Amino acid sequence: MHRLTKIIAAIVTLSLAVIPVLLLVIWSFGKAWYWPAILPRAWSGRAWAYIFSPEANVGAALLTSIAIALAVTAIALLLALPAARAIAWHEFIGKRVLLFALLLPVLAPPLAAAMGVHSLFLRYGLADSITGVVLVHLIPTVPYTTLMLAGSFSRFDPNYEAQARTLGASWLKTWQYVTLPAIAPGMAVAAAFAFLISWSQYLMTLLIGGGRIVTLPLSLVAFQRSGDEAITAALSLVFLAPTLVVFAIVARFLRDE
Amino acid sequence: MRLSLIFCLIFCLWLTACNQAVNKTQSQFTPEQFAAMKWEEVVARARGTTVNYGMWAGDEARNRYFQGAVADKLKQQYGITLKIVPNSDVAEAVNKLLNEKSAGKNTDGSLDMIWINGENFRSAKQAGVLWGPFADKMPNIKYYDEQARTSDFGTPIESYEAPWQRAQFVFAHDTSRVPAPPKSIEALREWIKAHPGRFTYIAPPDFTGSVFIRHLLLHFGGGAKKFQTGFDEQLFQTAAAATIEYLNDIKPFLWRKGETYPATQKEADRLFANNEIDFTMNYGPSFASERIERGEYPATVRTFIFDEGTIGNYSFLGISFNAANVAGALVVTNYLMSLENAMAQGKTLGTLFPLSLNLISPEEKAAAEALPRGVATLSIAELNAHQIPEPDAQYLARLEKEWAQKVLQK
Repeated sequence: MHRLTKIIAAIVTLSLAVIPVLLLVIWSFGKAWYWPAILPRAWSGRAWAYIFSPEANVGAALLTSIAIALAVTAIALLLALPAARAIAWHEFIGKRVLLFALLLPVLAPPLAAAMGVHSLFLRYGLADSITGVVLVHLIPTVPYTTLMLAGSFSRFDPNYEAQARTLGASWLKTWQYVTLPAIAPGMAVAAAFAFLISWSQYLMTLLIGGGRIVTLPLSLVAFQRSGDEAITAALSLVFLAPTLVVFAIVARFLRDE
Repeated sequence: MRLSLIFCLIFCLWLTACNQAVNKTQSQFTPEQFAAMKWEEVVARARGTTVNYGMWAGDEARNRYFQGAVADKLKQQYGITLKIVPNSDVAEAVNKLLNEKSAGKNTDGSLDMIWINGENFRSAKQAGVLWGPFADKMPNIKYYDEQARTSDFGTPIESYEAPWQRAQFVFAHDTSRVPAPPKSIEALREWIKAHPGRFTYIAPPDFTGSVFIRHLLLHFGGGAKKFQTGFDEQLFQTAAAATIEYLNDIKPFLWRKGETYPATQKEADRLFANNEIDFTMNYGPSFASERIERGEYPATVRTFIFDEGTIGNYSFLGISFNAANVAGALVVTNYLMSLENAMAQGKTLGTLFPLSLNLISPEEKAAAEALPRGVATLSIAELNAHQIPEPDAQYLARLEKEWAQKVLQK
């Protein structure tokens, strides 16, 4: 009985994950798919041919997206680590206010913040540049990474660090052999979150990148709005691929624990 | 280790961003300087530059054509690198210019030229984010008649944008379902009443839905001519009342009894493809042929227009007030206006031939009329003979408001 439920649960989960992807695959190859046909009446490689053609610039968009997401992840972690540590281990005046301030960009629509910084960015020449897009992606990512890492730090007893230092380890060694291994799984999850948040940004990239910085979501939306289902589906699959890689890496980290 | 790699990556990105400095003194000048300049000099100054062109990029065939054939041509012939800055709505590009203006970015803007028309042109021109006047000084303006050069949705063009494309409203029907579509407004009314639930139109302010009700306004107002010269309140009142009455008369017989309307072109197209409604509409006369080609519509779909004609308009190219590369933008604009591009574009994309047939030679005219067109596309001659100009843009805004109050919410 117990095994049966397990199997059913596995099937349900799997189909929930697989069916939408399968539909996208069908859409991307489908031609002449209208009611009441259950499957497309004809098939075509048009969408994929376009995506791999040099005119589509999908490769460049993919690279831009990956570069931005990696940079955002790295910077978000660097900013979040000391902040999370302080939040988890130290009591200080105004901590609740700080936590609230930290959450603000997530509570308020990040777009509102982005519109505010846009004119500032224009003045400092950051608009329409990758640097600007990376900076603006930090607005929604840093709060998440900080809070997640704060969770990791609070489950880790600071006395372990103190002990390592007493035994003569430098702060670097302490970090490397004591703190890092302890919070690594949390860091992996936080990094994955940062990557995915940056990866899926559309409006902020459009606003700050001004169309000059073309990431994958930008081309995706252009086709989705114009109603070209096959290309939208094919681009969605391209969009999905790196996120699967990220999840695979994170899963490994979590298992190593 | 991993971190240092990432830092290297960031550093590289930053370097490339800094490296994008261009030679600007050559290619930047004022409209007054342009007026005194020989065209050869503009071409010479444009050589070796990069042009950032803000273009709606939701169409695969069009993207391919511009990134491929047009870009290659410009590179070969003028040494210009064309960089498409894609948008999914022209308003995005105009907003960008408005933002740059309010932030005081008056030089080295991010866009050199944009594809623009109608309401977007109106707001861009009013806000002073367009470079000009320039259009009447373009060599290829000779192919365009008064209609393409005077007013854009009632906004005087005054040489602030250059015509390069034309569009006309068409309906599509599936000949296997409706062999003889209604070709007048009254015939349409009768058809709708005889076939409840099989017709609907896209809810304004969607672009296409708005054209449909605008056509009715012109029809009930006694013809397009009266709507060309500014806004006439009296005319609007009578024409709008008749339009609203017509729309409320057909409402109970529409798809879902008119309680809801498709909100976008895409939704209407899906309803049509899925056989829920019998007609769809579009402002691009070759849209049905493209969809047949892509397999989204059955091969039996055809387009048609009313016997009294349908609304058509031009679309234009504008140059940004803060363009970093004016010379390049001018050369690209002139190329896109050319007979050569019109023919090539007609051949590859099946777009409507934009040049005036009276302003080209008889041989060129014959070649243009012989351009291959998709199975569902009407001929240039037929479309030309049935084209109604757009009314002043003020009618548009007022009618959309009337519709929302008196048809949608009723």
